[in-house]
Amino acid sequence: MSAWVARLLWRGRYLFSLFIVLGAAAMAPLVNFTSLDNDVSMWISKSDPVYVTYERFRKEFGGGRVLLVALKSDRLFTVESLDAIRQMSDEIRRVRLVERVTSLSTANVVQALPPEGDDAGGIEVQPLVRDIRDEAGAQAVRIRALNDDLLRGDLVSEDGTTTAIVVAFDEDRIDEERGEVIEAIHKIVDPRLPKGMQAFYNGSLEISETYNRVTIANTQNFTPPILALMIVGIFVMFRSWKVTGLVVVAVLASTAWTMGLFVLFGFKFNVLASMLPPLVLVLAVADDVHIVQHFIHELRESGNARQAFLSTVEHLCVPLLGASVTTALGLLSLATSNVLAVRGFGIGAGVGVMVDFVLSIAFLPTLLTLVPPDTAPPPQERWLARPMGLVAGFAVRRAGAVLTTLALAAGVAIAGIWHLRVDTNHINFFAERHPLHQSAAVIDRELSGVYSFNVMFEGEPGVMKTPDTMRRLERLAAELQGLPYVKKVTSVADYVKRVNRELNGGGRDKTVIPASAEAIAQELFVFELSGEGRTELERMVASDYSRGQMSVKLASMSSDVVFEQINRAEAVAGRVFEGSGIRATATGSGRIFATLDHYLVTSQFGSFATAFVTVFAVMFVLFKSMRFGVLGIIANAVPVLAVLGLMGWMGISLNIATVMVASVALGITDDDTIHFIGRYRRDVLAGMSTADAIRTAAEHEGRASLTTAIVNSLAFAVMLLSEYKPSAWFGGLMALTMATAFLAEIFIVPAVMTLFPGFYGADAIRRRLLKQAA
Amino acid sequence: MNWALVAYSNRRIRGVAVAGLAGVLVAWSAPAHAQGGRPQAGPTAEAVVRQAEDRDTGRDSRADMKMRLFDRQGRARERVLTLLSKRGAGAAGDRTLLRFSSPNDIRNTGFLVWEHPDTDDERFLFLPALGRVRRIAGAEKQESFVGSDLSYEDIGGRQLADYTYAFVDERATWTAPDGSKKDAWVVESRAKDSGVPYPRSTSTILKDSLVMVHAEEFTRHNERGKVFDVRKVEKVDGIWTVLALSVVNEKTRTRTDLETAAIRYNVGLTDDDFSRRRLEQVP
Repeated sequence: MSAWVARLLWRGRYLFSLFIVLGAAAMAPLVNFTSLDNDVSMWISKSDPVYVTYERFRKEFGGGRVLLVALKSDRLFTVESLDAIRQMSDEIRRVRLVERVTSLSTANVVQALPPEGDDAGGIEVQPLVRDIRDEAGAQAVRIRALNDDLLRGDLVSEDGTTTAIVVAFDEDRIDEERGEVIEAIHKIVDPRLPKGMQAFYNGSLEISETYNRVTIANTQNFTPPILALMIVGIFVMFRSWKVTGLVVVAVLASTAWTMGLFVLFGFKFNVLASMLPPLVLVLAVADDVHIVQHFIHELRESGNARQAFLSTVEHLCVPLLGASVTTALGLLSLATSNVLAVRGFGIGAGVGVMVDFVLSIAFLPTLLTLVPPDTAPPPQERWLARPMGLVAGFAVRRAGAVLTTLALAAGVAIAGIWHLRVDTNHINFFAERHPLHQSAAVIDRELSGVYSFNVMFEGEPGVMKTPDTMRRLERLAAELQGLPYVKKVTSVADYVKRVNRELNGGGRDKTVIPASAEAIAQELFVFELSGEGRTELERMVASDYSRGQMSVKLASMSSDVVFEQINRAEAVAGRVFEGSGIRATATGSGRIFATLDHYLVTSQFGSFATAFVTVFAVMFVLFKSMRFGVLGIIANAVPVLAVLGLMGWMGISLNIATVMVASVALGITDDDTIHFIGRYRRDVLAGMSTADAIRTAAEHEGRASLTTAIVNSLAFAVMLLSEYKPSAWFGGLMALTMATAFLAEIFIVPAVMTLFPGFYGADAIRRRLLKQAA
Repeated sequence: MNWALVAYSNRRIRGVAVAGLAGVLVAWSAPAHAQGGRPQAGPTAEAVVRQAEDRDTGRDSRADMKMRLFDRQGRARERVLTLLSKRGAGAAGDRTLLRFSSPNDIRNTGFLVWEHPDTDDERFLFLPALGRVRRIAGAEKQESFVGSDLSYEDIGGRQLADYTYAFVDERATWTAPDGSKKDAWVVESRAKDSGVPYPRSTSTILKDSLVMVHAEEFTRHNERGKVFDVRKVEKVDGIWTVLALSVVNEKTRTRTDLETAAIRYNVGLTDDDFSRRRLEQVP
């Protein structure tokens, strides 16, 4: 079969190569790394109940995706600062797609008016900041703001040194122009900052935009050095510009095809997809090193390019196919995730691996025949072949010690796994000096926090303004306020209480829910009398009072804790509203993101299990042997254990980025094992002894694996420099995976083969083969 | 946090006070204080607007109205109200008293506005559940008219000098809901202060009655913000009166329909009908 494939490819080599080149040229323009889509709909299915509920909520009350601008100054309440805030707010309001700006300069305060003449007093509604002419006026604003329960701790800090400008957008369109809009706002705020005032940007839109910037930066900053390191690595190992150039051409063609198909399949480029190009690069290098090494060897032996082509394809076709299929299956297992972006990544990477296989086996050997490399032993052969042989010899001689060490290392790794935490904290994904991290610290400490979620209430029309509902809302708010991390809880009941207080003289003792339904309705009517009030009220309660919502603001934290908090809040709400005819559901952007992160992590356990089963099923099929399948499991479980163990010991959590490492690692590491075992079995069948076959496999396949491990580990390690920690972790852990996969291949496989000659020894294999033939 | 509860514009509400819905529409699109004078042959756009402002809308009026407020889900709330209005004379400004009769939970809630040409208007609210009149103070602009999509600025008229006018179409035709066609002007007005929320609007004014029957207001980004459409216009007591009006706010995706069930002009209302004592008196 392999020989037939080799002959077929030889006959059609120019046609295949032309197709590959033209295809790559056609695909390349499709790849636009600057057009990103990290929108939430890319991450969660639109039919997911959590998303469906959020859309219902958003349709009713508007979305919660805002830009938070925290302004910090010891001289916040001065004429200069207040004037600057007014100017910023006015200008931001003019920015395209801005729907609402809430700040000190847009805030209105309500206060009771004292009796005057024969009237019983009144109610005053006026802007918090109006005609501030001197510092005394500015201080009066400070007092009014800090006396307002709804403003204090939310729009202005308790100590009066920090305030927020909250910008809400047209959510149906903002994602199309998010970058430009946010940049426009930065350009409004930054130049207007008075001396001593600092601006801190956060909120879900700023986080999304930062993700976009990081994605582009990662792609732009890391692809060139990864490519450069790869080129240097290959050149050092083969000391041939010809080989280096051909490998680079083949690798770039693979990348263009993979990313082009990714786009053609309808997937969008996002923060996860940004990891695809480096992944494809390193996987392509792994295949190509084997091909180049084999081709040079065969060319040297036969002196004939055709023979070298046929031999290379014939010998490597099955191992490369097996390695590619298992890698692709490992990656495709991610397609079982219920997170759309992970599915896209898994399918894109899986297809990429298979594309790379086709290109490697059909295109690179053709290039090598067109530009034949020097047949003198390259440095990697001169430098690595003998040491590999010696290492294999050591593993054979000290097989017991090797496996004992392995057992100890596995024990340490398993202990580390015990320390693994599931924790996705988007703010902590950035370094402490990163603006996003710093702004979150300020907003969490001084204001009402970066995160939020909502509880939505649904019932019959009118139900949301009954005294009973108001009292339940009040009770629920009190309970939620008692939960850790909760900083501010607001519902329509707070508005009613506030109006009631001001209509009854302004005393704090009047901050209560009125007893009668009519009084509540009329106080809400008072609120609705102004357009702003109507709009604001419609963000808290439906106009027919069939639905309402409670806003819960939180400090930034692990989304797992948020997830737990939200579930708890929903349970509490369910209990408080039991028997009321009102259904309480937790929702909001906070729930969407927390659920998404939860899905990301939990679904990966399923993906890993799928990968584990499918990868080894393929190995059993490939080797047609239960024994070698088990050997494959042992060799490949080691890198995965090592990675997870190291994560546990280093405190790297299982999060949206690292959780994929196990599946990807499993897919990658089995390549080395497949090549090694394939070579070993071939040589054993050719008559070699166990020790000789192990040594030969180590000298050839081990050498290729070491070359790949060096080149790829260096390339992945570049990502450690990313300011976005998940990218750095992903790169570092993949580098570690490469290194441990090589060590497993060169130490563990020979040791196991030696210690269990009845299963893996040359004689046993030949005996079984004869038996099967008989 | 926004606490704009009941803060009204300082601008005129003459249109409401004088002629109910007819006044609403006239005053909304035409500036207050426009001078009289019929347009001569080939009138300017400004002259047309002046004349629309100055047409006869009576000394006072009493109207029974139905207001339907549609939220962005298309759900409607209905309010039934009585509107009394009286044109001011001399130094006294216009006066308006509004009382709701439905829905039940806000029944008899009343709202009184005293305009003062040279100082801030005075506004009073009566909530039956509270049993007392409360003064309402505030200075917010662009506030809505009792929670509708009409703002006080829309209905109160704008200072003529604040805008420039130009014809968009001098030979326009307006198709009435019954299918009949009427000659009209389409006038564009542009605010001299580009910072106002709706710096540009276009108004369709009927040539025979000088009633404005359609208008569109545009945001600072030149996106259409509000659309006003007259559904029914008739002569009542010799005065052209808009009896049905629809206002769509395309930004908030809300809509307000106003219907006048009955209206009488020049019924002899006095200042006493617009006193705080009268506001407290539940009919």
